[in-house]
Amino acid sequence: MRRNRLWALTMCGVAAFSLVACSGGTGAGTAGDGGNKVIKLGGLAPLTGNYAEYGKGFQIGWDMAIEEINGAGGVNGYTFEIEVKDTQGDAVVSSNMATNFAEDEDVMAILGDFTSGACKANAEIVDRYGIVQLSPSASAPDYASMSKYCFSIMGRQDSEAPYLARYILDKYLGAKKIAVIRVDSDWGLSCYDNFIQEADALGLDVTVEKYASGEKDFSSLITKMRSIDPDVLVVMDQGDSVAAIFNQADAAGWDIQHVALGPGTSEQLINQLTDPDNLIVTSPFFFDENDEVLASWAKTFEERAGFAPTIHPAEAYDTVYLIANAVERIGDGEITREAIQQQLDQSENTGITGELNFTEDGDIIRNYMICGVQNGEWVVLEGFDYVNE
Amino acid sequence: MEYFLNQLVNGLCQGAIYALMAIGYSVIVGVVGMVTFTYGEIMMIGAFSAYYIFQALGNNLPLAILAAFAGAFLIGVIVYKLCYEKFFNAPRHISLLCTIGISMLIKNLAQIVFGPETKPVLDVIENRTFTVMLGGIRLDIKLLQIVVIVLVIVLAGTLTLFFNKTKWGIALRAVSQNKDAAYLMGINVKRTALIGNCIGSGLGGIAGILLSIYYYSVSATMGGAYSMKAFAASVLGGLVDIRFSALGGLCIGIIENLGIAVSAATFRDVFAFGFLILVLLIRPQGFVSKKGVRV
Amino acid sequence: MEAIRQYYEKYKLAVYLILFLISVIVPFAVEQALILRYICTIMMYATLAGSLNVINGYSGQTCLGQAGFFCIGAYTCAALTKNVGLSFWIVLPLAGILAAAVGLLVSLPTLKLSGIYLSIVTLGASEIIRIIAQTWTPVTGGALGIKQIPYPNLFGLELFRPKYYYFIFLAIGILFLFVTGRVLRSRVGRAWMAIREDQVAAKSLGVETSRCKCTNFMYGAFWAGIIGAAYAPFVNYIESSQFTTDTGFNVLAMVVIGGQGTLLGPILGAAIVTVLTETLRFLENWRYVIYAIIIILMMWVRPQGLLGASDSILAGGKIRRKQDRQEGKRK
Repeated sequence: MRRNRLWALTMCGVAAFSLVACSGGTGAGTAGDGGNKVIKLGGLAPLTGNYAEYGKGFQIGWDMAIEEINGAGGVNGYTFEIEVKDTQGDAVVSSNMATNFAEDEDVMAILGDFTSGACKANAEIVDRYGIVQLSPSASAPDYASMSKYCFSIMGRQDSEAPYLARYILDKYLGAKKIAVIRVDSDWGLSCYDNFIQEADALGLDVTVEKYASGEKDFSSLITKMRSIDPDVLVVMDQGDSVAAIFNQADAAGWDIQHVALGPGTSEQLINQLTDPDNLIVTSPFFFDENDEVLASWAKTFEERAGFAPTIHPAEAYDTVYLIANAVERIGDGEITREAIQQQLDQSENTGITGELNFTEDGDIIRNYMICGVQNGEWVVLEGFDYVNE
Repeated sequence: MEYFLNQLVNGLCQGAIYALMAIGYSVIVGVVGMVTFTYGEIMMIGAFSAYYIFQALGNNLPLAILAAFAGAFLIGVIVYKLCYEKFFNAPRHISLLCTIGISMLIKNLAQIVFGPETKPVLDVIENRTFTVMLGGIRLDIKLLQIVVIVLVIVLAGTLTLFFNKTKWGIALRAVSQNKDAAYLMGINVKRTALIGNCIGSGLGGIAGILLSIYYYSVSATMGGAYSMKAFAASVLGGLVDIRFSALGGLCIGIIENLGIAVSAATFRDVFAFGFLILVLLIRPQGFVSKKGVRV
Repeated sequence: MEAIRQYYEKYKLAVYLILFLISVIVPFAVEQALILRYICTIMMYATLAGSLNVINGYSGQTCLGQAGFFCIGAYTCAALTKNVGLSFWIVLPLAGILAAAVGLLVSLPTLKLSGIYLSIVTLGASEIIRIIAQTWTPVTGGALGIKQIPYPNLFGLELFRPKYYYFIFLAIGILFLFVTGRVLRSRVGRAWMAIREDQVAAKSLGVETSRCKCTNFMYGAFWAGIIGAAYAPFVNYIESSQFTTDTGFNVLAMVVIGGQGTLLGPILGAAIVTVLTETLRFLENWRYVIYAIIIILMMWVRPQGLLGASDSILAGGKIRRKQDRQEGKRK
């Protein structure tokens, strides 16, 4: 046994050494080409796991923007590079990676992560290290206010969820009795909280059920909801469960209007549904075929990714331009993390996803439209001006 | 009342799928004498075999079931060779950890080969609902639910016949009860165990395709949650007895759905595992009446 | 090898002292915070794997539910420091005691059970604990988890950087090794090992097997709870998905790879598994494939683990001769 103990110590030593050695290797590699005129960004994206599709979209969106900027000669003589780390959609992994970027003094700002939960878990870290975390997709209303370094351009739930209640349910569909099935998560809770305030104000009769993320069988929930006989079935989730719930409702022979909050105009959703034409969603953004810039952007994206873009990669694309604009405004001044935070805070920009004006908290208010499916294609049912009609 | 009866139908159908999973699981545990954690991945492989048949040849259910059985059967051979064959007389944790390793291997390879996204399985069975009036109570039963339940009953019946009437089946039962005695009776224990393991896996594959039809989707990570349910159901049935395992599956399905009917969907697994522990506290050997069936 | 061993015998104290000094210097020598974070993770897993090893390796019961005790510790710490405002240092032992109490609850039904049924109950209990954490919203935050858990505070110094956190894990790790080493050499520890080697024989020699199994479970759960409590502020954010059965299996793999029934095996196992999964990160999904292959290979080539003795009962060996057994216990 003694011999074993010695061996153990040696092995532990070797293991620890190899860990340090490996990291030393990668550290040198990235620092080497840091040069004087390159601005390095850190990207957090779920490249594997449940949200892998969105993570890949982020990566391609970022790469497209950086290639464009660098191809045009950079900004004020600076070129950009991004190092993307896989966070697996897991808040703890995301925190590890965020710490890594924050400790690396070459990294000027962090772009990402995808989920609100991961972004909120990182808020403490970016605040302590004083580095910007600009998320393309975090929509929880309490995220951006957690730190002055936290930003998001997704648009907040406290505007989208009330829009759903007021304009889709009340005005467009004229519904009175609503059944809501939502995912039990940070995102789902904040959706529902914002939704129910507006719905109560409008006098809608709402019944809600929640389910654990990853649930597959909704037949008992559907039976439960069906027994109260609502006018509209609303699902609040972003992942595969949206399709699962609507399909199981169809299979039960339940003829009801489907409304979803969260998935946006996702192509994949149409493929997963048995009856997509029955679906209405909110969307802040639509890939209009008549808009040349957008259409060619979507085409380039699809060639590189192999799937059609949702709003998320377009927003990832915009985040790089936001940083580039901040760098441009800094001008001759020194590029620091602090300077980027200050410039970002005051920025007013327009990206491909529309106007990007940060609120005091560091997120933006978006406008929404009503989209639906006709013959297997997304269409705009009512545009931005429906609010004023 | 009407509401609870409708929930009972949901529970019955889900329980039927659980029952099929549990039957396959108990066959495996019975013949190899060790538990397995690869069962979820075996179901997933079965579902994907069927998915590619649907893609290539259209929605041909019988053919897809055959493919699912065959795909899972082959994986069963690999699992047997890697996890059990060498370890019949070794401490149990060795093969246990091997199955955990294989499960991880298959799951991640599947994510690489099939892709991480959830794939739709639509329109295999027509969307139709039958309404039954039972003394003023309205019951809605989906065609899908009927197909699933009938399939499970047919398979369970076939299996029972196989176990009781054929030479192979009797050999399998003998190995399941006592390996040494079976060996002395001139049964080739290792080959019988291999075949038993593969048949159990094949049933798991069919359960996988039923799951994918019932939930309209397949994905590389679908196995995890269900393998725990199969495991729990077969433990309820005493691990090696296929009839009681099927009963265990039905019970778990019904209890989950009735539990959700009175509380919330987030408590699903609390009901499943709470019921399991409750039963084990009262009857450590599960539903099985005779003592000493401990693996 | 023999020479080194004798040298080690002779200067045992000096060896320990040097090791201790090295471990104290590490956080000042390592520049990158991420590496230090990984080293912290290794130390955390080493203690967690060690606590599982007490159950699986020394008393021969196969517990699959260590993630559950870990979960209890983490949630106890997070809920009490964040919502009640108790000091981390008070919560730490509380978390251990609570986990031990649940350990007792779990072990009660297992007295009647043996073999695989015991594993099943521990697995089921671990899942139930996780599901309670996921659904008991007022206390555990439900699906939202608990965020911004306060960092431990030592004499006014907030231990937030990995550099400081390192010492918390180091202290717990050393304490665990020291106490466990003593316990294993005591009457209780010998009884555990006797149960592992041959339960019937142990019983006939007057070992109260039921009570010993209970204390064994509680002891393992206690340390899992402690390390869980230290884990919560370290990651700053916990949610139920961090405590799935996969976490439990991962810890089990560490124990088995390192070597069950050895004090240092779990440390080695934790180091290997963590280094492997972190350095292979660039391979994305392939890294789990490689990890899985290593587990399977390990079981084929060296089922007793890297440090396990090849004649151990855990490696499929027969019960050792009396002489060897005494040798083993004296270590």
